[in-house]
Amino acid sequence: MGTQVKDVVIKPEAPNTLLLDKHADYIAAYGSKKDDYEYTLSEYLRMSGIYWGLTVMDLMGQLSRMNREEIIEFIKSCQHDCGGISASTGHDPHLLYTLSAVQILSLYDSINVIDVDKVVDYVKGLQQEDGSFAGDKWGEIDTRFSFCAVATLALLGKLDVINMDKAVGFVLSCMNFDGGFGCRPGSESHAGQIYCCTGFLSITGQLHQVNADLLGWWLCERQLPSGGLNGRPEKLPDVCYSWWVLASLKIIGRIHWIDKAKLRSFILACQDEETGGFADRPGDMVDPFHTLFGVAGLSLLGDEQIKPVNPVFCMPEDVLQRIGLQPDLLN
Amino acid sequence: MHGRVKVKSTAQQEEEKRKEREKKLKAFVSARDAVLRKRSAGEHDEEALQLTQQLLSSNPDFATLWNYRREVLLQLETSREKDEVQKLYESELHFIEACLKVNPKSYGCWHHRSWVNTRLPQPDWTRELGLCDRCLSLDERNFHCWDYRRVVVKESGVSVEQELQFTDRLIGSNFSNYSSWHYRSTLLPQLHPQPAPDSASNTSPSPTASPQIHSHRVCEEQLLKEYELAHNAFFTDPNDQSAWFYYRWLLGRAEREEMISCVYVSRERERVSVAFSKPVHAQSEGLMLVLDGQPQQVEWRSTHPRLRHSPVWLCDLPPGSVSDISNEHNLTVHWTEKYTHRDCALYTGCAESWCRDSATDQELFRSELSVEKSSVLQAELQSCNQLLELEPQNKWCLLTIILLMRALDPLGHEKETLAHFQTLKEVDPMRSSYYSDLCSKFLIENTILKMEYAEVRVFSLSNKVLEADDNAIESLEGLYHLPKLEEVSLRNNQICKLSDLESLASCTKLTRLDLRGNPVHKTANIDSELSQLLPLVTALSL
Repeated sequence: MGTQVKDVVIKPEAPNTLLLDKHADYIAAYGSKKDDYEYTLSEYLRMSGIYWGLTVMDLMGQLSRMNREEIIEFIKSCQHDCGGISASTGHDPHLLYTLSAVQILSLYDSINVIDVDKVVDYVKGLQQEDGSFAGDKWGEIDTRFSFCAVATLALLGKLDVINMDKAVGFVLSCMNFDGGFGCRPGSESHAGQIYCCTGFLSITGQLHQVNADLLGWWLCERQLPSGGLNGRPEKLPDVCYSWWVLASLKIIGRIHWIDKAKLRSFILACQDEETGGFADRPGDMVDPFHTLFGVAGLSLLGDEQIKPVNPVFCMPEDVLQRIGLQPDLLN
Repeated sequence: MHGRVKVKSTAQQEEEKRKEREKKLKAFVSARDAVLRKRSAGEHDEEALQLTQQLLSSNPDFATLWNYRREVLLQLETSREKDEVQKLYESELHFIEACLKVNPKSYGCWHHRSWVNTRLPQPDWTRELGLCDRCLSLDERNFHCWDYRRVVVKESGVSVEQELQFTDRLIGSNFSNYSSWHYRSTLLPQLHPQPAPDSASNTSPSPTASPQIHSHRVCEEQLLKEYELAHNAFFTDPNDQSAWFYYRWLLGRAEREEMISCVYVSRERERVSVAFSKPVHAQSEGLMLVLDGQPQQVEWRSTHPRLRHSPVWLCDLPPGSVSDISNEHNLTVHWTEKYTHRDCALYTGCAESWCRDSATDQELFRSELSVEKSSVLQAELQSCNQLLELEPQNKWCLLTIILLMRALDPLGHEKETLAHFQTLKEVDPMRSSYYSDLCSKFLIENTILKMEYAEVRVFSLSNKVLEADDNAIESLEGLYHLPKLEEVSLRNNQICKLSDLESLASCTKLTRLDLRGNPVHKTANIDSELSQLLPLVTALSL
């Protein structure tokens, strides 16, 4: 048979310096052309899109270029009677966008423009008998939503309203033979889910339940010859995994197990010198999602031009310090 | 958002593309606005289904539309007979399948399909299984499909054996089969559970128990067959990393029994220290201390400065209760949550007492192997060594040989193990730090085992000195609350910042500290900084 390693090849002319100003310009301008095709089609995730844009701008020290008042008004218009928050006006509420909204308001230190008690009730109401969380009233279960729930409540200082033991029990029941985590019990390990579950266990003070050596090995094996990281075995590298994998490694105290220099080269190669922004891999189209995770990954790697980022919340450390949230990390 | 290649095109091509997109956008916006208007007006009719169908086919992640569709379907249900409802939802399944063809990885699509099956008067699980088979034949790594398959299997009562055979077929025919091996790891404990151990633990294996935690709830006979299966896979293709991952799981140690590893009592300090086999939160575990038959009111405190859960806990005994060295005392620590305890006798004339099993008795570093398993692993080691001769650069093989040697005879294979780690760092330099750490871990385990065999007490600090010269120590995390420690020597290490030494401040008898040969000496005002951090240290060498 003979498998070829799935990977990309970085061209010699690929960018190798950090073009921070170009990225700030790209994000500042993104969404200003409201008739843009991609922008409109991604309305279903707008709240998360705003969170990605604001967070990366804050990490680059450029938050002031964004329209704070407009965004806050937008968020207010997205809170529904049930307390949950939607991605955009006219869309239905969901835990994903409730978290993004709370993260944005935390960045802006304006959490009280929404009805916080109702948000807390909404989140609490989504916990199931087995401790899991549904994403919304339609019942999809996923460990991503366990993370969204506890991250939201932690930012609001209200972790005590849920059944913690059951919530933890459910997440642990999703631990696999390789030390990783999947969406639901029995689901395959995936870096995105691993980020959510290690983040969850950090927030809930249960990191000692992770097999850090085994999981750390699985995570460091995500690094491919190009230096980039994939999300699970035999997949192509993607700059967003520079976040999901790296943050997970940081949370479990094993970030030194990947080759930092090679990863940095890969991330830098994903920049677009013309337009600014980062793409999933070198030569592809850029978007705010990959721009945030490229910059956040570089921050975790220690780039001093970028503010320190918190590996659990993917928000600037100084924001979390202001809130007084310092979730545990393993050493 | 993923995999969109940036294509260079001419100005004319750009203009054409722009015009086309503008057209598409207009169509999308008008359809979207129409749908949301209808919904606001509370209209739940066929037209709603048509409009959402149009949009969802190419925008399956527009979740609100699936919600609206469900509202419409639920509304239509109320005015239809059972057989019409059946038809309604069957045609819905048809629509979803068309969406899945366009985007087989949409969370919204798959969830909607699951939802439809809960509304169908008569779900057709055979058809659903067939859909999964087809979908997986196109992309064996589609986790959405695998997760859906698990639901179908559960609802329709497909046997575990049948699913195991399914994985056999996939593993045999494909090289990207991590998902199949993973599925196997979840099926085996259900099919071949190990008879429950007769420990006092009251946790029982359940079908949904996590395979990571309950990996050895698979009976040995089946486990040995799995070695063969994985072995065949990586011998066919030594770069099939999935099989090597699976193999490592098979080699993993059995889950350690939850127990109190050690109890230590000190007359002088009137203190009891308790070590557990895993980090616990003492206050939640029903810990009880009994002294000479009398339960004691004590307050447990953790030795870890930050984490709530710690493997070591301390408590102070009532003053005077054990201080008279002419008295003998019997202590018992009860871990009531786990129905286990440990006794410790403090004899006349003894200032202190330990009670623990040895590292070997506790199978701390390796599990006892049955004769069958031992001979199988021996044969595996031989085969892997043969493979290594053919593929000397194969890191999976090297690492697996190390793990096999550890399972069989950690001390006997120490030299070879070190040599293989060296090779690993050369053939897989990106992961050198991982290999270094793993190697250190094994060396420490071996050192402890050697001390056990030589009946030497482990890391005795009775002479109150800790010497750790000539290592690569960067921080003293873990070296806190050592009340007897008087002298620490850390010459020629990698202590760089003052904060690396913070934990020493909690060692109240520490007066001598040697930090020569560490980068920290370059810190500005290091003398005054150190005297602030460690005021009790009077003899400092920099």
